[in-house]
Amino acid sequence: MAATNELTIERRGHTRSAARRRANFVIFLGPAIVLTVLFFVIPVLIDIAVSFTDLSRSLRITKFTTEQYQRIFQGDRRLPQVIGLTFIYVFGTLAIFNVSFGLVLALATTSINKAAGGFFRGVWLLPRMSPSVLYILLWLWAINPSEVGLLNQVLMHAFGLSKPLDLMTAAPIALIIIANGFIGASLGMIIFTAAIRGIPEHLFHAARVDGAGTLAQIRFITLPALRWPISFVTIYQTLSLLVSFEYILLLTKGGPFYDTTVYALYVYRRAFESGQYGYGAALALFLIVIGVAVALLGWRFFDMERLLQRPRIEVL
Amino acid sequence: MAARSRYMHRAESVALYGFLVAVSLPIILPYFWLVTIAFSARTGVAETMVLWRSTLVLVPAVIAFWLTAMLARNRRQMWLGMAATALVAAIAFGLLVGPDLHLRNFIFLVEPDFASVVRSRVGEVHGAMQFPNVWHAFANSLLIAGAQTVIVVTVASLAAYYLSRWQFPGRAAMLRSLLVLHAFPVLTLIVPMFLMLYWIGLLDTLFGVILVLVAFELPFAIFIMKGFFDAVPWDIEMSALTDGASRRQAFLRVVLPQVRNGILAISVFTFIRGWEEYIFVFTFLVRNTNWTMSLYMYYVRDDVMGVDYGVVSAVGVFYLVPSLILYVAAQRYLMQMSIGGVKG
Repeated sequence: MAATNELTIERRGHTRSAARRRANFVIFLGPAIVLTVLFFVIPVLIDIAVSFTDLSRSLRITKFTTEQYQRIFQGDRRLPQVIGLTFIYVFGTLAIFNVSFGLVLALATTSINKAAGGFFRGVWLLPRMSPSVLYILLWLWAINPSEVGLLNQVLMHAFGLSKPLDLMTAAPIALIIIANGFIGASLGMIIFTAAIRGIPEHLFHAARVDGAGTLAQIRFITLPALRWPISFVTIYQTLSLLVSFEYILLLTKGGPFYDTTVYALYVYRRAFESGQYGYGAALALFLIVIGVAVALLGWRFFDMERLLQRPRIEVL
Repeated sequence: MAARSRYMHRAESVALYGFLVAVSLPIILPYFWLVTIAFSARTGVAETMVLWRSTLVLVPAVIAFWLTAMLARNRRQMWLGMAATALVAAIAFGLLVGPDLHLRNFIFLVEPDFASVVRSRVGEVHGAMQFPNVWHAFANSLLIAGAQTVIVVTVASLAAYYLSRWQFPGRAAMLRSLLVLHAFPVLTLIVPMFLMLYWIGLLDTLFGVILVLVAFELPFAIFIMKGFFDAVPWDIEMSALTDGASRRQAFLRVVLPQVRNGILAISVFTFIRGWEEYIFVFTFLVRNTNWTMSLYMYYVRDDVMGVDYGVVSAVGVFYLVPSLILYVAAQRYLMQMSIGGVKG
C-alpha cells in the first residue's frame, strides 16, 4: 500500500513536471516560433504557390500554369541584360568598396592616433547611420545636373569643367556602385578594425626589429590574420548586395530605362510596377534559393560548438 | 639614422592623414551642406555660399584644435589654446555666417499645408500636394518603431533564455535554423508578404507592418540575447533556485537584470531600424494618414525639391537627428553587441 502511494506520488510529480515543462516551452518559445513560421515559412510557401499561377494586377488567380517559368527561361529578353548588370554591380561594389576600400580604411585608421582614427571611422559610419531616404536625398543634390549641384560646383570651379555634368545619364552604373559602396565600406572597416586590434602587438615589434617596413608588416602579419574576416565580409556582402535594391530604387528608380535595374529590383518592378505578381514570385524564388544557400554557408563561420553547448542545469 | 627614421615616420603619418581627409570629404561635405541649407536658405535655391563661408571658419578651427592638441606641453596649455580657438571661431562664425541663419525653413513643423505656402513664394498657386501633418507622420514612426521594439525585446528575451538554459529535443535543430534565418535576406520575401497581407486584410495598416518588421528582426535579436544570456554565470541562477525560486521567477528577478545591456542594445537597434524603415512601409502602406517619417521625407523630396531646397533639407535634419542621437548614445552598447554577439 505504502509502496503504491509512493509510486502514485512520484508519477503525479512526474506528470506535473512534464506539464510544467510543456507550459514553459509554450510560454518562452511559443511566440517566437509562431511569428517565425508565420512570416518566414508561410511566405516562402506562398511564393512557390503563386509562382505557378497567373496572379496579376487584379489579384485574382484564374488558373495554375508553368508559363512564368517558361518566360524566365525563354521568353524574357530583358533578363540576360539584367543578370549581366547584376554581376557587374555586385562584383564592382564588392571588389572596389566593401572589401578593398574597407580594408584600406581599417588599415589607415588603426595606424594613426586612436582618437583621430575613431573620428574618421565615425565619418564613414555616417551614411550607414542615416536613413536611406535621406542618404539618397544628399546624393541627388550632390549630383544635381545643373550648376547648383555640389559635384558640379566643385568640378566647374576647381577643375575648370565648362559644362555641368549629369552623372545620372553619363555613368548610371558607376553611380549606383559608388552610392552603395560608401555604405558597404563601413561594415568591412569595422570588422577588419576589430580583427587588426586583435593581432598581438609583439608580432609587429618583432617584425620591426627584423627590419620590416610598413608594407612588409601589412603583407606578412596583418593580411594573414584577416583571412577569415575577409571571406566573411565577402560572402555576406555578396548576398546583401544581390538582394538589396533600396538605394537604387530611391536613387535612379532603376533607370534611365532599365540601365540600373539589378535582378532584385527587376523582381520588385515586375511585381509592383507592372503588377505581374506571379512572374515576380517566380523570379523571387531564385533569390530565395540563393539566400538559403548562402545562409547555410554561414554555419561554417560560427562557433557551432559554443552555440550548441549544452545547458548545464536541469531544474524546472 | 634615428632622425631619418623619425622623419620617415612623420611623413608617413602626414600622408595617412591627408589620405583620410581627402576620402572623407565627399561624405562630410553633403551632410554639412544639408545643415547649412536647412538653417540658411532664403529663396529656396540650394545656395552654397553659406556652406563655403562656414567651411572657411571651421577648417582653420579644426586645424588649430589639432595643432593645440599636438603642441601643448601640459593640460592647462591645451585647455587655454582650445578655449582661445573656440572663442575666435565662434566670433568669426557669428560675423560671417550668423546674419544668414534663420529658422523659417522649419515651417513644416507648424503649417501642415506648407507646400502651398512654399509654392506661392515662387508664384505658383496650384499643384501643391496635400501633405499630412508632420507630427502625424512622426507619431506613426514612433508607434511603429516603439511597438516593434517592445514586442521584439519581449519575445526575443523569452526565446533566447529558453534556448540558452534548457535542453529539449530539437534544440540543436532550432538553433541551426535560427542561424539560417538570421542570415536570410528578408527583402526577397517582399512579393509573397505583400500578397499575404492583402489576403488577410492587413495591407495598408500599421499593425500589419509592425508584425512583419517584428518577425524580420527576431532571429537577429534572439541571437544577440542568447549571447548575453550565455554569459550570465550559472551560479547566480543556481543560488536563486536553491533558495526556492521557480525557473520563471529566477528568469524575471535574477537573470533578466543581468542582461540589461543586451536588452538596451537590441532595443536601440530595433528602434532605429523601425525609424529608418523605408522599403516595406513604402510597399505596404498607401493612405497618407499612414505615412511614416521616411515616406513623408520621400514625398516632400518628390514634390518640393525643385521648388524649395530649404524646406526639404529642414525636413531632412528633422528626420536625421533622432537616429544620429540614438546611434551616438547607444554606441557603447552597440559595440558590446558586436563583441559579445555573433559577429565574431
